[in-house]
Amino acid sequence: MRGPGTAVALALLFAALAAAGCGLGPGSAVKDAELTVTRDYGTVPVLHRRLGDLTESDTVMRGLERNADITTRYGGGFVQSIEGLEAEESAVGSLDWFFYVNGVESTIGAADYALHGGESIWWDYRNWDAAMRVPAVVGSWPQPFLGGYDGKRRAVAVECLGGGSACDEVDERLEEEGVGISARPPSDAIRILVGPWARLRGDPAAAQIERGPQTSGVFAEFRREAGAIRLIGLDETGNDAADFGRDPGLVAATRRYEEPPVWVVTGTAEAGVRAAAGLLDAGDLRDHYAVAVDGGKETPLPLR
Amino acid sequence: MRSPFAYIPRPRPLQLASPGAAVAYLGSLIVVAFLYSNPIVLLAVGLAVVIAGRLAGAHAAVRAALWMGLTLAALIVVVNALVVSRGETVLARLGEWPLFGQVDVTLEAILAGFVLGLRAAVVMVGFAVYSACVDPDRVLRALRPIAGRSALTATLVSRLVPVAAADAARLRDAARLRGPGAAPVGRAPLARRLLAGSLDRAVDVAATLELRGYSLEPHRPAAGATFSGSETSGKRCTRWVPGRRHQVIGRRRSRYDRRFYAVGLAVLVVAIVGKALGADAFSEYPATEIGTGAATLAVAALVALSGFAPWRRSARTHSALTKRRIASNSLPAGGGI
Repeated sequence: MRGPGTAVALALLFAALAAAGCGLGPGSAVKDAELTVTRDYGTVPVLHRRLGDLTESDTVMRGLERNADITTRYGGGFVQSIEGLEAEESAVGSLDWFFYVNGVESTIGAADYALHGGESIWWDYRNWDAAMRVPAVVGSWPQPFLGGYDGKRRAVAVECLGGGSACDEVDERLEEEGVGISARPPSDAIRILVGPWARLRGDPAAAQIERGPQTSGVFAEFRREAGAIRLIGLDETGNDAADFGRDPGLVAATRRYEEPPVWVVTGTAEAGVRAAAGLLDAGDLRDHYAVAVDGGKETPLPLR
Repeated sequence: MRSPFAYIPRPRPLQLASPGAAVAYLGSLIVVAFLYSNPIVLLAVGLAVVIAGRLAGAHAAVRAALWMGLTLAALIVVVNALVVSRGETVLARLGEWPLFGQVDVTLEAILAGFVLGLRAAVVMVGFAVYSACVDPDRVLRALRPIAGRSALTATLVSRLVPVAAADAARLRDAARLRGPGAAPVGRAPLARRLLAGSLDRAVDVAATLELRGYSLEPHRPAAGATFSGSETSGKRCTRWVPGRRHQVIGRRRSRYDRRFYAVGLAVLVVAIVGKALGADAFSEYPATEIGTGAATLAVAALVALSGFAPWRRSARTHSALTKRRIASNSLPAGGGI
C-alpha cells in the first residue's frame, strides 16, 4: 500500500535527478557559435552561419543539421553530404567531409562532440589521399587560443626561439584578441613556436613538418639545399608546387599524437619570421589550413 | 497445456500447402521485414502476417506473438532511447550515467527504437504463424534427403522438448498434490528429477532407433528388383519397376502450392524492385525522415495485400455459390427453348 514514504522517496528521486543535471527539454541556452562550410581545403566557401540557438545538449552534428541540408551514414554518426556535396571515392581521389572545432581536428564523431558555446566549427570537403589526417589548422584564428579545444580552455604559451621582434608581435596579436599568455605554462598548454626554422626543427611536434603532410598535416616542407634552407609549397596531392623565394615565412599548425596543438610562426630567416608573425589576424588566416608569405604575398596552403 | 505456437492441422490453404510453398510465402514476408527499414513497409508486412495468421486460423499464435513482440519492441524503444543520444530533438537530459556517459533522450532515438522493435515484432509474428501453420514433420521429411542426420536430430528435439515440458508440469502437479503440510519443493530438485527422466528417455529413444535400423546405411533396391506395388515417401509416390530405379509416378502437391509460390515470388520481386526505386527511404538520425513516396506506398499496399494469400471461401459461401450456380444452370419453369 502506498503511503507517505512512497511520496517522500519519489520527491527525493526527482530532487536527485534535478541535482544531477537532469530535466525535460534540451537544457539551457549557451553562447553562440560559428559554423563555416567550405570545400577543397577552404578555398571554396559553401556556407557561413552564426549558430544562435544553441543549448547545452547540442552537438556539432545537431548544430550542422539545423543549419545545412545534410545526409548521414552509419546510424547518423558520419556526415555523407552537406548541401548536396557527397563523400565519394572516385578517380580524382577520396573525398570526404572533415570537421574542426576551434581549428583542431576532432578525435570523436560529430554526433558525440558536445558544444559549450563560443566554438568555431569548420567543415571542409577535401581529398584526403595525400594526408588522411590534418590534426590542426590555422583558419579559425584566434581559436584555439581563445576557447581552447575538446571543450576545455587551455593555457597559451609563446616560445620564442630566436624570433626577436616577431615574438613581441605574436604576443601583441594574441593580446589584441583577448588571449592571456602564461608565463609558466602547464604541460597541456597550446604552444606557439616563433623563430627561424633552423631553431624550431628541434621541437618534436614542429619537426613533423619535415616528414611531409602525411605526418604533420602541413602542406609545406623545409629543405636544406646547397647549404640554405628553402620552403617548398605542396599541392593537394603532396607534390611540390612552389619553391618560395629567399626569405619566406610560414604560419602552420600541427599536433603530435594526443598532445596539445602546436603553431609555428617561422621562416627561413628572421625577415620571414617577422612576415609570418604579421599574418596573425583573421583576415589573413581565415579558412586556410596554413599560409606561406613571400615578398609580402600570402599563399594559402596547400597550393591548387 | 498446448503452446499457442504449436502446429494444429486445419483444413486451411496454408496448412494444406506443401512445406516448401508455405515457407516460400512466409519467408518472403520475413525477408521484406529484414530488407526494409521504412516503418510504413514494416507495418504493411506486420499487417500481412497478422492477416495470413488469422486466415489460417492461428489466432492464438498471432495474439501471443503480438503480445511478446510488442513487449520486446517496448523494451527496445527504452534501451535505444537511453543508449543512443543522437538525434536533433532532445526531449530530456538525464545527466551523466556510469558507462553510458551523458544521456540525452531524443525523439529520433525513440522513433529509431520503434522501427527496430517493429521489425522484431513483425518477424516474431511471422515465425509464430509458420510454427502454428506449417507441419514440422512435413518440413523435416522434406529436409531428410538434404540432411538426414540433422533432420533426425531436429525431429527428436522437436519431440523431446514438449515431452520434457509435460514431464515438468506433471512433476509440479505431483508436488502440489502432496498437500499444504508438505515441505515445498524447490526448482533445483524438480530440475534434477526432470534431467534424470530425460536421460532415461534418451536411452529409450536411442535403443528404439538402433532396433529400427537407423544406424544402418539407407536401403537401396538392387537392380532387377521385383514389382512390389506403390510406396508413398513424403510427398512423392514411387513405384518399384523391374530393372529400374525408383520411378516417380506423381507428386502429392496441394492445389494451393502454386498460389503461395507465386505470391512469395511476387512479394520478393516487388520488394527488390521497390528497394531499387527508393521505396525504403528512411533516415533515423540526425532527423527522422520517413519516405512516403509512390514507390513506398505501392510496395506497402502490395505487401499488405499478400496477407490474403491464405484466403479461402468459407464453407457457407461456397455452398451458397454452388446452389446459386445450380439454380442458374437449371431451366426456368416452362422451358427456355
